[in-house]
Amino acid sequence: MSGVVVIGIGNDFRRDDGAGLAVVGAARSGLPEGVRVVESDGEPARLLDAWAGSDTVVVADAVRTGAPGGTIHRFELGREALPATRGVGSSHALGLGEATNLAAAMGRLPARLVLIGIEALELGEGPGLSAAVARAVPAAARQLVREVQRAPELAERTG
Amino acid sequence: MTHKAPAGRTLKVDALARVEGEAAMHVEVRGDSVTDVQLQIYEPPRFFEAFLRGRRYTEPPDITARICGICPVAYQMSASRAIEDACGVEVTGPLRELRRLIYCGEWIESHTLHVYMLHAPDFLGYESAIDLAQDHRDVVERGLQLKKVGNDLIELIGGRAVHPVNVRLGGFYRVPTKRELGPIRARLDAARDAARETVEWVAGFDFPDFEHDHELVSLHHPTEYPVLDGRLISNRGLEIAEREFLDEFVEQQVPHSTALQARRRRTDEHYLVGPLARYSLNSSRLAPVARDAAAAAGLGPTCQNPFRSIVVRSVEVLHACDEAIRIIDAYEEPDAPCIPVEPRAGEGHGITEAPRGILYNRYRLDPEGTILDAVIVPPTSQNQPTIEHDLWHFVEDHMDLDDSELGRRCEQAIRNYDPCISCATHFLDLRVDRA
Repeated sequence: MSGVVVIGIGNDFRRDDGAGLAVVGAARSGLPEGVRVVESDGEPARLLDAWAGSDTVVVADAVRTGAPGGTIHRFELGREALPATRGVGSSHALGLGEATNLAAAMGRLPARLVLIGIEALELGEGPGLSAAVARAVPAAARQLVREVQRAPELAERTG
Repeated sequence: MTHKAPAGRTLKVDALARVEGEAAMHVEVRGDSVTDVQLQIYEPPRFFEAFLRGRRYTEPPDITARICGICPVAYQMSASRAIEDACGVEVTGPLRELRRLIYCGEWIESHTLHVYMLHAPDFLGYESAIDLAQDHRDVVERGLQLKKVGNDLIELIGGRAVHPVNVRLGGFYRVPTKRELGPIRARLDAARDAARETVEWVAGFDFPDFEHDHELVSLHHPTEYPVLDGRLISNRGLEIAEREFLDEFVEQQVPHSTALQARRRRTDEHYLVGPLARYSLNSSRLAPVARDAAAAAGLGPTCQNPFRSIVVRSVEVLHACDEAIRIIDAYEEPDAPCIPVEPRAGEGHGITEAPRGILYNRYRLDPEGTILDAVIVPPTSQNQPTIEHDLWHFVEDHMDLDDSELGRRCEQAIRNYDPCISCATHFLDLRVDRA
């Protein structure tokens, strides 16, 4: 298996922690054919499995950097440090940052990993994104699709 | 929190990253004695109990699977069995075997995650599995491969690995053909070997002498190592049906934790559920390969040392691999993927053995199958008073350590119980107040 994988991380019963899943859901219909889509709770070993064999990984996840809720961030691994993902909504102790560190130790890092992060606002119990985060989902989904389209694997195939 | 530690030293550790979820621990020391230990944990089932009221009786297997990313199968199975009990239905034969098979996948995945990623680094002096991987990549790779077999087993039977969608009342939406089980069966032999090597590996760790005579509670089945059903027994003579759980156990609100704490109703005593309890009450039911490995690892027929729980978990993974092989080899496709479950007014109970211990569910339905009331008692809320008890003694035995080392060791003691204080934050604040 090679190519591009899109991973939505989150727990949609912890309000904005579901942002990553919502972004991937909204982006799904716009993704090029052959792109794998995975939903994950962010557990590192599963993330390593999810991107095994893929050169380009685009992840959508809730982040907490202190920016206003709904702010869309883009991080590329290797260019800048990943922010704290998931915040209080995590269903586990570990997240994307641990997954990339573990992958580095195991020689399992993808060639390119881009995180589309949405700044979380509400991380209480229950379904439903906060208004600010919900408003940001379509733009984040478009950005995710553009990110996927830029992947060298797809560019070679189409061009 | 109303602790007023006069001029006490306060230690705050942003740690216990290797516990599933969100927790804080507060230890108060006065002179040479521990005066208070509080483990504060947040648990999501409370929210889900309210969320389930008014919903259709068919919905809980899907909804409760979202409670925990690490043990969704346990929540699905306990919910399904409780609602089937209310409706007067019992799932038997190949469908029951498939339920046990997907549950084997969850034990393999959850236990292996804990053994390799969370617990082993404590014994080997590493900060995390990432540091362990830097020195012992092959060992961590073995753990990841073993875990993946569990993951893939859940995905094959459950439709997907996180929050399986193929489980329903009465069985499944779709069952695998014998042929579809072939590829995973082929990998299970190697998984069983890896599981045996895991037992040998962890058996060589150093374990402190630390044993307490807790009441151990688990399911007990006449012929099987318990997973899906059975009588509820203890080493103090308890033997009851699943439906009698709330006659013997009670959940109490404590001010320092949003999670309820369970205790014995009659005596107010704490008790222990999970691998140590399961093993000590059922070791004779283990698959021979797991029994032999346990003996070679130095485990007797019972084990009450929580630090050795890493060995017991590894033995249970070996058992689950062997059991999965046995179930697949004997598998005959059922006539239908599920049996009908018609609603009726009533109350039903179900207990299954989540990786961390018994998970009790009770549902009340109206005649049309609307849920009137749901009770979910997860293993970690049952173990919480016991964890606090152990910490109390552990701190008293190690008062000579400085705050930082004491904090580190306390975290390890908490991790012994693999507390799934799930669906919450990464952060544990550890505070030690010494007056």
